[in-house]
Amino acid sequence: MSIVDVGQGQEVAGPATPSAPVTAASLRRRTTPWVLLAAGLLFGIGLQPQLYPAQERLVSTVLMFVALATAWNLIGGFAGYASFGQVAFFGLGGYGTALMMVHLNMSFWLAMAASAVVAFLFAALVGAPLLRLKGHYFAIATLGVAEGLREVVTNLPKLTGGGGGITIPTFGPNAPTRWLGNDGFYLLFLFLAVAVVAVAIVVASSRGGYALRAIHQDEDAAAAMGINTTLAKTLAFAGSAALTGAVGSARAFQLQTIYPDRSFDVAITVLMVVMVVLGGSGTVLGPIIGAISVAFASEWLRTNYTDVHIFLLGGMIIVAVVLLPQGFTNYVRDAVRARRFSLLENVRRYRL
Amino acid sequence: MNESPEPIVRARNLSKRFGGLMAVRGLDLDLYPGRLLGVIGPNGAGKSTAINLLTGHARPTTGQVLVDGQDLTAARPWRFARAGVARTFQIVKPFRGMTVADNVAVGALFRARTDGGRRTVTAARRAALETLDRVGLGGKGDLAPAELSTADARRLELAKALALRPRVLLLDEVLAGLRRGEIDPALQLIDSLRRDGLALMMVEHVMHAVATICDEVVVLHHGEVLTTGKPAAVFSDDRVIQAYLGERFARRAAEARRATEGNVR
Repeated sequence: MSIVDVGQGQEVAGPATPSAPVTAASLRRRTTPWVLLAAGLLFGIGLQPQLYPAQERLVSTVLMFVALATAWNLIGGFAGYASFGQVAFFGLGGYGTALMMVHLNMSFWLAMAASAVVAFLFAALVGAPLLRLKGHYFAIATLGVAEGLREVVTNLPKLTGGGGGITIPTFGPNAPTRWLGNDGFYLLFLFLAVAVVAVAIVVASSRGGYALRAIHQDEDAAAAMGINTTLAKTLAFAGSAALTGAVGSARAFQLQTIYPDRSFDVAITVLMVVMVVLGGSGTVLGPIIGAISVAFASEWLRTNYTDVHIFLLGGMIIVAVVLLPQGFTNYVRDAVRARRFSLLENVRRYRL
Repeated sequence: MNESPEPIVRARNLSKRFGGLMAVRGLDLDLYPGRLLGVIGPNGAGKSTAINLLTGHARPTTGQVLVDGQDLTAARPWRFARAGVARTFQIVKPFRGMTVADNVAVGALFRARTDGGRRTVTAARRAALETLDRVGLGGKGDLAPAELSTADARRLELAKALALRPRVLLLDEVLAGLRRGEIDPALQLIDSLRRDGLALMMVEHVMHAVATICDEVVVLHHGEVLTTGKPAAVFSDDRVIQAYLGERFARRAAEARRATEGNVR
């Protein structure tokens, strides 16, 4: 169970005693996430040759959402600041990369790194005032940032191509970096997902993770415990933005042509939020489970119930949220701890 | 009286205005190591605001707060915490998503690095278990804060503050909601902290406790200091009982006076 507990830093196995602080259990608790992550990486690499191109693209997209949801979880899950403008950083990463590759002839790899830095700085800048807001106000303000950024990109046609989009040259002599192909993008998104999860594992078990969880619960109390809340929140927001920007950069290169409406689509933010909430916010494993299950459910429904797939997906999300308001991993942790597995009882405990 | 000449916390002319209300007006306060200052007064007297002003949770309208001679008047709460000023909250504020031990570990992770050691999670959790033992929560580290009794929740609030290894501790009604049998152990704990040399201040409604344990008492009324002095003097001051404590507290004050005569002399 220990990976489930990583997010909350809790120990299910046995009460800790002062005499034996570094127990086998605590060692296991620290190493298990890394072992599982390495296993996931190897599984992802081993899985690739078994997939048809269409499946490979689907899994690439799932891996992209694993990375996005995990990045959102840093600010939305751990710190409890529900950013509804996260797509701003996704779009910023995408457009940053496209602009740098088109206008500056920069290589994709350099552009991806630079886009992540741009997203970090932009988030730190807008975060300074926005992170003074809480709850709904923060959500609405960040939503405004994303919408505003889309308008800016749409209204600078000379630079960004405006609503008609911008195309990254990926073949021939003008291409700063050749297109990576299905296999290449699969591996790129796999590595990105692993890297973002690795960041989450480090955060979850570090001082920073304690700071963010404390801020989530009570900011005054967190500050009274010596936590520089402004710094912790801003770093979480900017770090989350940088990772999201890198993913957006990879997505833009994969799609080659990007448009403001799709790069800054609020639906992408909603998907990140839904995945984290369903999987279990504030845990490492939750967003991964949420991303994989929602992405596959969405795809399966689209293939099998094309006409009503959005309707069915929405229904499934509602049922899941009603039954597991705290998310899958948090439910499992609490249920194992209390030895109570009844979903109805769970609904009562977290009455909406 | 073995009074240290240098206070750790020195507050001068502190005021806090909330709109048209002066919650605290012209407060002077010194907190000395190894001494316990009691602050009493009815609801709305400005007691909690006074604590907030001394920890950065409220920004003073006028005045100055010095900690070890360092001006922290407009500083944020975390800077007070790192300067060694810890507090508890009147309404306990546990981090609900964490275990009891992790709640306390937060303080050990973010306290000032005075010993030059690294503030690792492992070390913090070890320190947290020791702190829990000290406040009487040994063995309850793996519980969720919601599973604690009122008394234990107060102990957790205290343990979180102590995890900062503070030199100054401000207690905002730590005895509230405790049963009679639970108050004495709590007072013994506070007394042991005083003997360790902490500068202590307690805001409290449990008058007999204030009378028994405090070295000095400040009486706040409408944000101003009505009187200050030794508990025995303050509690036998008819002006305090009649004009300020009023009917409601008169009986308790008399009770406290008896306690003072019994214990402090």
